[in-house]
Amino acid sequence: MMPGGNGAQDVPELELEFPPKPEFVGTARHAVAALIRLRDLPEDLLQDVKLAVSEACTTAIADGPGEGLPVRLFASVEPDRVVLEMIDPGNGVERAVEGPPTEIDTDELPFDRVLSLPIIRGLVDEVAITPLEGKGMSLRMVLSVRPDTDGTADA
Amino acid sequence: MDLEVETQTRGDASVLILRGEIDVYTAPRLRQTIVDLVDGGATRIVVDMEKVDFLDSTGLGVLVEGLKRIKNREGSLAIVATQDKILKIFDITGLNKAFALHASVDDALKEPVSGA
Repeated sequence: MMPGGNGAQDVPELELEFPPKPEFVGTARHAVAALIRLRDLPEDLLQDVKLAVSEACTTAIADGPGEGLPVRLFASVEPDRVVLEMIDPGNGVERAVEGPPTEIDTDELPFDRVLSLPIIRGLVDEVAITPLEGKGMSLRMVLSVRPDTDGTADA
Repeated sequence: MDLEVETQTRGDASVLILRGEIDVYTAPRLRQTIVDLVDGGATRIVVDMEKVDFLDSTGLGVLVEGLKRIKNREGSLAIVATQDKILKIFDITGLNKAFALHASVDDALKEPVSGA
């Protein structure tokens, strides 16, 4: 079962574990994209999933190394949705649960820390940020599978 | 996939042709290119994103930083982007209002510098 999940349908199809470092973000993104392509899901969903994974990883990197612990990423494709969960051992949970800024100020914004979570919230259908016991957080994201309008994922 | 950054000069403009993916790993390369151009006196930059396969917040942040740098020198930074997957992140963040977005490099070069 996925760490933040609550049922038998939450058995992840893909589990990745990697250091929260920039050089691993592309690998994580492409691995999850490969899972989406296996199911011939719509191209726009594939792009949304890739962006959600990248932003989750960017958040984990910004949150710090988490005492050397790796990031864990889980992904599942269900008939009507894609479920992603990032277990981030870093220090970002307080900032994460604060919620998005009401307005993005390009003069003030420190982009390496602030934009990822607002993008995730604007991108996915459900997002849940749960503090983990001790330290770190779970970032769970759900994207609905909608009828294909632009062709299946092939990019 | 990596990020390739090619710089061309067209009139008074520096055109950055990007190919590949822009994320937290590759964005520093783009940032350094923009910083070098602005520090070298460029006042007009056009960033061609038509061959960009992926853009996330880190890449967007680099573009915003570049915009701020060049505006401080009364210059402009325009974006060429028509792919939905690229435009979407500008829309989500509201930064489509901060940038001059164009359908082609030629269109971008038609704009006066003060239009950005």
